[in-house]
Amino acid sequence: MSTINFANREINFKIVYYGPGLSGKTTNLKWIYGKIPEGRKGEMVSLATEDERTLFFDFLPLDLGEVKGFKTRFHLYTVPGQVFYNASRKLILRGVDGIVFVADSAPNRLRANAESMRNMRENLAEYGLKVEDIPVVLQVNKRDLPDALPVDMVQAVVDPEGRFPVFEAVATEGRGVFETLKEVSRLVLARVGSNA
Amino acid sequence: MVEPSLVLYGALYDRALGILDETLRETGARYALLIDRKGFVLAHKEALWAPKPPPLDSLATLVAGNAAATQALAKLLGEVRFQEVVHQGERMGLYVDEAGDHALLLLVFDENAPLGKVKLYGKRAAEALTQLAEEAIANPPKLNLDTQYREEAKALLDELFGN
Repeated sequence: MSTINFANREINFKIVYYGPGLSGKTTNLKWIYGKIPEGRKGEMVSLATEDERTLFFDFLPLDLGEVKGFKTRFHLYTVPGQVFYNASRKLILRGVDGIVFVADSAPNRLRANAESMRNMRENLAEYGLKVEDIPVVLQVNKRDLPDALPVDMVQAVVDPEGRFPVFEAVATEGRGVFETLKEVSRLVLARVGSNA
Repeated sequence: MVEPSLVLYGALYDRALGILDETLRETGARYALLIDRKGFVLAHKEALWAPKPPPLDSLATLVAGNAAATQALAKLLGEVRFQEVVHQGERMGLYVDEAGDHALLLLVFDENAPLGKVKLYGKRAAEALTQLAEEAIANPPKLNLDTQYREEAKALLDELFGN
């Protein structure tokens, strides 16, 4: 649930980028950081290994602006995608308001996509949450790969019921990055007032 | 269990500020923050003499992440929790203590603040803030935001991320 600071008149939302290792979660955040103007973003924090693999999380605060007298802010996080880091991945999901699931279009990562989604469901369950309880947007990344799988094939293993909005992306070029973030933000904001 | 929203408002918020302020005076620390477990700042105070603090968002996020990892380590070892965490460098240090299940107290201090005082008064403050946090969860204020909020927010999304 959103964190509301009445005294400072702030509403804060936590959005987590989830997905298998090397699917482009950090690349999404780096692109956003590079494009959002100064004054609307805070410092980006990356807890990564020497070879730039996410170890704990990346973090980027964004200011949407003032809405009805409330400063509205998004805190964006990535989780470490590597299977090995599940203990820390689980911690990042605490208090999540919305999720971007970044799937990889490469044929040899199809199974990793499915396993990551299953892992996400399990980790959410530890907080008493179901995927149906929170807004989730599916981003099918790396659409520029020559052997990229069809989007519906990726969707079939990650979200067979077709419940999540889907965006195609090439995060290295910024394609689909803002569209994905905007949609998850919209879905998160839509819940304010109904159950915030 | 869905993470409850910890909302400080009015008298509760003033009490939180009062506790943080008093702790700064008693310990000689530079900054005192009450943050939730998700890494959001709920209330903060700075000593009058203290230089500009580092970005509070980053500070709060990293401390919350660190506290979550420490808690997970405690569980792995069969402990319910580890008590306070202290980090000390040559000049600066951090004191982090749990303020109940949903909040954390963070004190940032320099070499002029005696660690013993930081720990003693930090512990007292954490206890007082624990009670306060429980009251905040028990009596959350109503947020009367309507569709107008969503419409205005949507317009800002268009402005920031493009149509």
